[in-house]
Amino acid sequence: MSMNSPVTEQSLLIFAHQLTRIYPMGRTDVIGINRLDLQITTGEMVVLKGDSGSGKSTLLSLLAGLDRPTGGQLTVAGVDLAAATESVLTRYRRSVIGMVFQNFNLLPTLSVMENACLPALLAGLAHHQAMVRAEDLLRWLGLDHRKDHLPAQLSGGEMQRTAIARALINEPQIILADEPTGNLDSRSGETVIELLAELNRSRQRTVIIATHSNLADATATRLIRLKDGEITGLA
Amino acid sequence: MKPIVLFFRLFVWFSWRYFMKHRVRALIVIAGIALGASVFTSVRLSIHASLESFSRSIDLITGRSDAVLSLPGGRVPEDILPAILRQPQVRHASALMTTYVKTTGDDADSFLLIGFDPFSDRPFRRWQVQPTDLAQDSSWLGLITDPFTLLLSEALARRNGWQVGDKVTLVHDRENTVFRVLGVLKPEGLGLAEGGQVALTDMATFQEFSGLPGVVDRIDLMLTRAASDIDLEALRRQFADLLPPGVQITSPSGAKESGRTMIRAYQLNLSVLSFASLFVGMFLVYSLVALNAASRRHELAVMRATGASGNLIFVLFLAEGALLGAGGWLAAIPLSALVVKYMLHGVSQTISTLFVRVHVDTIILEPWELLLSFAVTVLISLLAALQPAREAMLVEAGEALTTSRLQRSRKDTIGKLAVVSLLLIAVAVPLSRLPGYAGIPLAGYVAILSLFAGFALLAPWSLQRFGAALSPKLHRLAGVPAYLAGRYVRDSGTRTAISVGALITAVSLFTALVIMIHSFRETVQLWVYQTVSGDLFATGKMSAVNQFRDSIPDRVREGLQQLTAPVEPVHSRRFVLKSGDFSYELDLLDLEAFLRYGQFIWVAGEPATVQPRLIDGEGVLISEVFANRTGLAVGDRYLAQVQQSVVDLPVLGIVRDYRTKGGVVFYDRSAFTRSYVDPSWSTVRLFFRERPENLETALAALRREIIDRCGSHLDLIAGEELRGAILRVFDETFAVTFVLLLIALSIAALGITTTLAVQVLERLTQFNTLVAVGAAVRQIRATVFWEALLLIVAGEIAGLLCGFMLSYLLIFVVNVQSFGWTFIYSVNWKALAASLPLIVGTALLAALPAIRLIFKQPPAMLLRDR
Ligand SMILES: Nc1ncnc2c1ncn2[C@@H]1O[C@H](COP(=O)(O)OP(=O)(O)OP(=O)(O)O)[C@@H](O)[C@H]1O
Ligand SMILES: [Mg+2]
Repeated sequence: MSMNSPVTEQSLLIFAHQLTRIYPMGRTDVIGINRLDLQITTGEMVVLKGDSGSGKSTLLSLLAGLDRPTGGQLTVAGVDLAAATESVLTRYRRSVIGMVFQNFNLLPTLSVMENACLPALLAGLAHHQAMVRAEDLLRWLGLDHRKDHLPAQLSGGEMQRTAIARALINEPQIILADEPTGNLDSRSGETVIELLAELNRSRQRTVIIATHSNLADATATRLIRLKDGEITGLA
Repeated sequence: MKPIVLFFRLFVWFSWRYFMKHRVRALIVIAGIALGASVFTSVRLSIHASLESFSRSIDLITGRSDAVLSLPGGRVPEDILPAILRQPQVRHASALMTTYVKTTGDDADSFLLIGFDPFSDRPFRRWQVQPTDLAQDSSWLGLITDPFTLLLSEALARRNGWQVGDKVTLVHDRENTVFRVLGVLKPEGLGLAEGGQVALTDMATFQEFSGLPGVVDRIDLMLTRAASDIDLEALRRQFADLLPPGVQITSPSGAKESGRTMIRAYQLNLSVLSFASLFVGMFLVYSLVALNAASRRHELAVMRATGASGNLIFVLFLAEGALLGAGGWLAAIPLSALVVKYMLHGVSQTISTLFVRVHVDTIILEPWELLLSFAVTVLISLLAALQPAREAMLVEAGEALTTSRLQRSRKDTIGKLAVVSLLLIAVAVPLSRLPGYAGIPLAGYVAILSLFAGFALLAPWSLQRFGAALSPKLHRLAGVPAYLAGRYVRDSGTRTAISVGALITAVSLFTALVIMIHSFRETVQLWVYQTVSGDLFATGKMSAVNQFRDSIPDRVREGLQQLTAPVEPVHSRRFVLKSGDFSYELDLLDLEAFLRYGQFIWVAGEPATVQPRLIDGEGVLISEVFANRTGLAVGDRYLAQVQQSVVDLPVLGIVRDYRTKGGVVFYDRSAFTRSYVDPSWSTVRLFFRERPENLETALAALRREIIDRCGSHLDLIAGEELRGAILRVFDETFAVTFVLLLIALSIAALGITTTLAVQVLERLTQFNTLVAVGAAVRQIRATVFWEALLLIVAGEIAGLLCGFMLSYLLIFVVNVQSFGWTFIYSVNWKALAASLPLIVGTALLAALPAIRLIFKQPPAMLLRDR
C-alpha cells in the first residue's frame, strides 16, 4: 500500500472506471451503481446528489471499503479495492477513510471520548496518544464538556459531532458522509456541514458528502448528480 | 502486550458494559453455570476424597511391605514364619490378622481390629502410644505381657469415650470378649487407618478371640535391597518348596489397585452425570451469547466499519462465553462448599456399600480438581459461544449503512442443521457398539453426547414442522393468540430453537434415568425375591461386615441341626477370591434344596436342562457381572485356587445377580465337599416347608428355638427384613443421582426463563405496534403464553424421544461396561405420565417472568426509538 505517499495538491486520489455494483435479487438484478467513471483529486469537497435509490449510499460504501464492486475498477489512495483482501480492507478503513453516518452509529456502551478513541486504538495507537488526539478533536468540535457522556445522553447534533471526531481520529485522507444532516434540525445540520467544509479548507481533507439537502452546495468544489446508478450531471 | 491491553479495553467497553446493562440475564446464566459447575466439582471432590481415604488407609495398613503371602479363601499357617525369615532375601516378616468388630449395643459402629506381633511389626508400620499419666511410650509392651489388651486409635477412643484402663467388650462371630485399654495411639501411621476407626492387639490374643489358632490372614515381607529388584515371579519360584499348597505371593498394591479400579468406574459415571448439568448450562451460555450477537448486529457492523477485524469480533464474543464460564466457576466455589457436604456423605456411603469401606470426613481441596473444573467449565462455555461468535464475526461492515434492523432469516441453515443432527443421532448407534476400555465406556459416553447434540440441533427443524402443523389447528381451537404463537414458533429460527436444547437435554436425562432406575429396581426386586429367597437368615455375628469369611462355630452348628421347627435349611459358604484384579465371591450352597424354594434369573443357559446338572455338581453358574468382567461364557471353564484346591469346572449358565462388591460364582456345596474340601458353612437360610398361616408368629417361634439351642451367637434376620434392607440400600444409592437430576432440571428451567424473557424483550416494539393496531394486552400475554407452551411441549416430546434412546444406552452400554450388569428393560409409565405434566407446569412457571415483562412499562414509552 502506498498510503503514506506524499499528498500533493493535484494528485489523483480516487479512480473509478466502469464501476458497477449490482444486487442480485432472486431472478432480477437491482442496480446500485452502473458503469460509473469518476476521478477525484486530493483536497476536493464533493457533494453527491440524487433521488432516493439513485445509488449514493452504494457509491459511498464502495469507496469506504464496506462493500465490493461487482464490476469495473476502483482504486483509492493506491489501494485496489476491487481486489483487496479482507485484512487489507480492514486496514484501509482504519487509516484512509473516516466515515460519518446519517444515524450516527455510535456504540451505545462507549462514552463520547471512547467512541472517538476507538478507531485509533484499533489502528494500534497507544491509549494515551489516542486520548490526546481525541481531546483536541472534541475541543475543536465543542464537545469537551460532554466527553464522559454516553450517546444516549446526547442531542442529535452532539452525536453527529462525536461521530465526526471518531471519523477524524486516525487523520484519514478521505471523509465520507452519508446524509450527515438527515437526522438533524437545520441549525445542527449547518454546524455539521461547516465543520466538514472547515476540514476540507484548513486541513486539506478530501470530503465526499451524499445528501438531499442544499446546505453543502455552496461550499462544494464539485457537485455530482446520480440517477439510476449513473452520473447524469456535474456542476 | 499492547494488543492484549487493547483487547481488554475493548472487552470492557463493548462486552462488559453490555453485560452490566443487562445484568439480570447474565446473572441467571452465571447462576445456571454455577449450579452445574458446583455439582461437577463437589461430585469429583467427594469421590476424590473417598478414593484418597481408601488408598491412604490401605497404604497405612500395608506399610512398607514388599510382598504379601496369603491363601485365597483361607488363612496361612503361622508356623512357616521361621523358615521364611531364614531366607536370605527376607529382611523382615510380620504376620497380620484383621477383622471388623464392634462393642455390645445395637447402634455401635464396627471398627477394624488388627492382630500383630508388635516387635516384628516395627519395621513395617508406624504407630506410637500417646504418653499420659497412665500410659507411657512403652506401654505397648503390655500387649504381649497381658492378654486381652488393646491399643485404641485416638478417634475411636474419643467417639466411645474410652480411656486408658477401661474395660471394653468386643463382639465377634464367636464370643463376646472383654479387653482392657492399654493406651491410645498418636494420630499418625496405623492410628489413622480406616479413618481412625482401628484398634491393635497382640496376635495371640487375636487368635484366641477369633478362635483361629495357628493361622494368620497374611504375612508381610520386607526384602533385602537386592531382592527388591527381583520380580514376584522369581520370588515365587524360590519359595515354591517352602510354602504350603495354595499360598500365594502377591504385590501389596494389588488390593489398592482393584479397589481403585472399582471406584473409578463409579467416579466416571457420576462425573459424567454431573457433567450433564454443565452441559445443560452450556445452552444457557449459547442463548445469551447468541442473543448478544443477534441484537448487536448493527453495532458489530459499526465496529467493523471503524476498523475492527473479524477476528477481533470473534475473540470478543468467545471471551463473553469465557467470562460467563469463569463467572459461573467462581460463583460455584461457595456453592460447592454447600453442595459438597451433602455429596460427600452420599458418595462415600455409596462407595462403602458398593465397593470398599471408606471413611471420609474431610474434603481435600485438591488444586488439580479445581483446575479441572475450571477448565471444563470455561471450555464448555467457549464451545457454547463458538457458533454465535462465528456469526458475529461474519457481520459485514456494510450493514452499518442500513437503517433498518431486519434480519434475514436463513432457511437453508435449518435444513443443514437437520441433516447434521440426524447424522449425530444415527452415529450414536454404531458408537454404542464399540467395546469399553478398562471398564470405561468411552464410546458409550461419546454416543450419549452425540445423541444430546443431535436432538438439540434437530430442534429448529422440528419446531418449524411443529409450528406449521399446529398453527391452523390452534387457530380454530384457541383463537388468534394461539395462532400467532404457532406462527412464531414456526419461524423462531435457530437461536430460539437451540435454546430449547437445554430443556430437551434435561427432559431426556430425566426420562432415561427414570427408566433406568425403574428397570434396575424392578430387576433387583425380582432378584431379591427369587434368589435372595428364604424366611430366616442366620449368620455368625459380624459375619456380613467380614464378608462371611469364617464358618459358623461347631457348637452353634450342632444346635441348628437339632431344630424341630418345620423348616428346610439351605447352607452356604462364601469365599472372597480374585480373578486378576477383579474380586468376586465363590458362593457354595445347597443347590438342590435352594432350587426347590428359590430361583435364579437366567441370562444364558437352559434352566430345565442345566439345573439337574448343577445339582449334581457338574459345573458352575456365573453371574452376569462375573461373565462380563472375565469374558467367560457358557461352555468355558472356570478356574480358581480355593485354599489348597484348584477348582476347574465348566460354566453351565449365566444368571443375574446384583450383590455389590464384585461378581459371583455359584456351585453346589456338597459337590464341593466331595471333590475338594468340606467348606463348612457361614450362613444358613431357613425355608418353612409349608407357608405358615401367620408368618410373624412362626418366625418368632423359630427365632426363640434357635436362641434356645445356640445361644445368642448368631445374627438372625427375617428374609422380608433382609430384602427390604437391600432395596433400601438400593434406593439410597440413587439419592445422589436424583439430586443431580433435579439440579439439571432446574438449570433447564433457568434456560426457559432466559430464552423466553429474551424473546419478549426483543419483540417489545413489535408487541407495542400490535397494541397500536388494536390488539388487547391480554391477547399479547396469551400469545406469549402459547409460545411458551408450544416450545415446552415440543422440547418435552423431543426430550422424551431422546430419553428413550438414552435409556437403552445407559442400560445396555454404560452399565454393562462400567459395572458388568444389565437389567430387564421396563418403563415406569405411571411415573413418566405423572411427572411430565409436572415438568411442563414447572417450565411454564419459569416462563412467567417473561410474560410479566410485557408492558411492564407503558407502551408509548417503548415506541420511542432507542
Ligand atoms: N443491500 C441491498 N440489497 C439489494 N438492493 C439494494 C441494497 N442496497 C441498495 N440496494 C438498491 O440499490 C439501489 C441504490 O440504493 P442506495 O441505497 O445506494 O440509494 P441512495 O441514493 O442512497 O438512496 P437514499 O437517498 O434513499 O438513501 C436502490 O434501488 C436500492 O434498492
Ligand atoms: Mg442512502
